[in-house]
This record gives sequence, C-alpha cells and structure tokens, in this order.
Amino acid sequence: MIELKKIVKELNLKVITGSSNLDKEISGGYASDLMSDVIANSKKDNIWITLQTHQNIVAVAILKELGGIIIVNGRKLEEETLKKAKKENIPIMVTDIPTFEIVGRLYRLGITGMM
Amino acid sequence: MTLNQAKEILEAKVITGLDNLETEVKIGCASDLMSDVLIFNKPESLLLTGLTNPQVVRTAEMADIKAICFVRGKTLDEKTIELAKDKNIILLMTHLPMFESCGRLYKKGLVGLGYLDINKKNG
Amino acid sequence: MAEDKKFTKIQELTYELKIKDVMTKKVVTVHPKKPISELREILYKKGISGTPVVSKGELVGLISIEDFIKCLAQGEMNALIEEKMAKKVETLYADEPVVHAVRKFDQYGFGRFPVIKRNNKKLVGIITKGDIIKGLLKKLEIDYHEEEIHRYRASHIFEDIIADNTTLTFQYNVVGKDFDKAGESASGLKRTLYRLGIQPNIVRRASIATYEAEMNIVVFTDGGKLTASVQPHQIKIDASDSGPGIPDVKQAMRPGFSTAPEWIRELGFGAGMGLLNIKNCTDKMTLDSKVGKGTHLEAVLYLN
Repeated sequence: MIELKKIVKELNLKVITGSSNLDKEISGGYASDLMSDVIANSKKDNIWITLQTHQNIVAVAILKELGGIIIVNGRKLEEETLKKAKKENIPIMVTDIPTFEIVGRLYRLGITGMM
Repeated sequence: MTLNQAKEILEAKVITGLDNLETEVKIGCASDLMSDVLIFNKPESLLLTGLTNPQVVRTAEMADIKAICFVRGKTLDEKTIELAKDKNIILLMTHLPMFESCGRLYKKGLVGLGYLDINKKNG
Repeated sequence: MAEDKKFTKIQELTYELKIKDVMTKKVVTVHPKKPISELREILYKKGISGTPVVSKGELVGLISIEDFIKCLAQGEMNALIEEKMAKKVETLYADEPVVHAVRKFDQYGFGRFPVIKRNNKKLVGIITKGDIIKGLLKKLEIDYHEEEIHRYRASHIFEDIIADNTTLTFQYNVVGKDFDKAGESASGLKRTLYRLGIQPNIVRRASIATYEAEMNIVVFTDGGKLTASVQPHQIKIDASDSGPGIPDVKQAMRPGFSTAPEWIRELGFGAGMGLLNIKNCTDKMTLDSKVGKGTHLEAVLYLN
C-alpha cells in the first residue's frame, strides 16, 4: 500500500483539488475513460486514470469511494468539475503524460490493477 | 517488442492476424476516446482500449496503427472483426484490465509517450 | 521470357524467406517413454506419416509409420518409442533460408524435417515440401498484390494531364446517425490518396481530419457531404451538412468542449477534441455555422 501523497511526489503530479486529502492509502489502479466501466469495475481507494474532464468524474469518484483521479494528456478541468471536486474535497491531479506511460510509472511504484 | 511477446505478457488471445505476430510495436497507447488516439498519432503503436465497436478499427486504420488489444475480455462485434480482417489490422484480446495491461507491458520494456501536447500541430 | 523471370523470382524468394516463415508451427509430438501402440492414434487419425519424439522440449528422435508397421508385424506394440525411433535425425534451423530446406529434401528424399532453434535445440516446427510450396505461393501473392496496387497507383496523373489548372475531386455522401457506416468515406479517401502517390504522413493527417469531420456529421446531423479536392500543391477537404449548426464556434473549438450525448461518449467519441484535432492535422481550417441552417468546414493541407 502506498499513500497518495507519495505518488504525487514520485510522479511529479500537479494537485488541482483535494490537496488536504492526500493521506489515504491507495488500494490499486483503474484506467478507463468510460464512466460505465469505472462504475462497474473500479474498487474503493483505487486511483483512477482518465482523460475525461466532465463533472461526472467527481460523481463517479464519490459513488465508488475512489482514492483520487489523475487526468492525463494535459487536459484542463471543466469549470463545473472543478467546483464540484473542491466542494467534495476529491483529490484531482493532472499530468501532461498519456495514460500508458503514467500507468507504467505507477506500476513501477508497486500499484497494480488486478480486479 | 513483438506482438507475440505482447500476447504472452498479456495472456491474450489472437483474434485476427495470427500470421503477423512478428510485427514490432514501439510504443503503447491506452485510451477509450478515439479522438485522443488520433491526436496521439504514432504509427508503430499498440493500442489498448476497452471499446470494441468497429470505429476503434477505423481509428487504427486512419492513424496507421497496426495492432489493437482489447482489454477486460469481452465479446467482440462481428463487424469489428470483419473490418479488421479487411484492413489488415491485428486484434488481440486480454482478460486483464487496462491498468494491469499497461503496467505489465511497461515493465517488460514497452514505453509510452512522455508528453502529449494537444495544441501541437500534428505532422 | 516471362517464365524465366518467374523462375528467378522463386529462386530469389527461397533465399529471402526463412524456414520459420513457412514451417508448420503446431507439431504433433510423442514422448520417448510412451509405447509404440500409442502411435496408432496419432499416425492414422491425423493422417501423418511420421512424428518427432520430444522430451522436455528437445528433439530426441523421429518415429515413422514404417517403424510402426514393422513393430506391428513383429508383435512389438509394447516396446517403447525410444527403442524403435531413429535417433540420428536430420534437422533444419528455424533461421536458415528456405533454399537450405529445398537442398536437403533433394539430398535425402525425406518427407519432412524437424525444425529446431539454433541455440538450444528446442523443437519449434516441422517442414514439408508442401509447406515450402504454400509459403512461396503466399509470398508471391502478397508481392503480386503490392505490384497490382503499384500499377494502379495514379501518382503520375498530374504529370500526364496537360492543363493550366488541374483539380481532382472526390465526393462522399455521409449518412447521419449511422454509427456502423461512419468512417467509410474517410477510409475511401485514404485509399484514394495513397493511390495518387501522396506522402504517407500527409495521407494520414488528411485521413484523420476527414474522419473527425465525418464523425461530427454522423453524430450531430442527419447527413452531409465530404469533398476532397486534390491539386498538385494541396488537398482541400470540405465537410458540409444542413444540420442544427453550432451556436458558438469559438467555444466549440475549445479542447474538451462538447455537446455530445453520453451514449456517444461511451462509444469513444464526443469528448470535445475533434475540431481541435482537425485544426492540428491540417495547415488551414475555417468553420462556418448558422444555427438551424448547417455547418461548413474547410481544411487545407499543403503538399510539399
């Protein structure tokens, strides 16, 4: 198990929201850009890697009690998403790196993605 | 990395292109959004995706991507398979989720793109 | 004359192709410690006349239908395979050229040779004359296909046409809301541009832009037209529809902005990157839209 703040530091992620909520332990990783898939298959305290920026991502993170969201490809969050994530104190991090590479680096830190 | 190696690493099934598994892939690309795959635009990549509709094959065709691996094992649309055969695109299918698939391939040496600038001119 | 040329072509191919390219990779093998009687199943039912004997992945011998018949005649069905097999086996390496196999078939008159890896003697396949013929035919077919494409390539067309101005126009009708057919126009254009001999990376950029434009028509409208005008110095792509139109073009160009419904997003589209992608793939793009009237997109790629 690894703390979210260690991931942030190791991978040099920019924390956009939820910076006071980085102490939690991450149980594993889930990478998907399809809401229905994440709702069906992600697990509690997973770190979620996606390029979706729509406000629905915050709702999904709350619903599934995810540990945090990493937005890839340097995507900018929509205004509504930002507002909602702030209010719910959901950690959202951004990176310019695409999904494959960031997942590879997370995997190297010991985070796996078996269901 | 050859597709044969990728297939072993991902414990994947070959759906089309059994004769072309010596094809080399240089870079991994994981996405469920096709526009981002098109922005990515790296011909020698292996595309990993959770989508299985024929447009995934279309996208690969447009971006000159030779191989796609579907993750989280699901049933494929017959149309997707037909189109892939027609366009000579190799299809693999793994039961592993996306995260685990990327992680395993990365660990064995397949790299991703270090940086993607969505505002950059594509060429 | 033509026959002569084909003959050399095949000779050439026997040097070019490796044994691993033509061999049969799925090989039925037997274990040396099994009794001869077990061969009946393998040799008769599978219709093969001999099979490699393998222990721990390594080739240790070869047993044929003749060996089997001999044992049958002498009532030795319980003998072990290793007692009756040929231990000195002629093999080929997977990385040798096919021509070596051809020579070996001539030299020995055998029906098959096991193929092993050069460094560890592991059995990786088996090769028959039939495999060689099949492999050569397949390669010839591929080469022929490529030659065919080459012959039909219209890359010289602009040189052949004498005019002050030449424009080739390709027009495609796009059916709205038909997600299965979506992309057929872009696919057709892609092939056409290749035939014209246009550089692969320009073809790719033009195809991506066309595909995105086509997707927009499919997702948001009841149909429209895609037109590509190719001139010696540029490709111009026009996409027009009489759909709902875009209220705020500037906003629509912003990355991530999208009005696509959730089902489109679940299909992998409508994440608000399409227009930006078209802009990035082409050298010039203009977008005109009137709400209730339709949208007209024009994108240009310069050649060279």
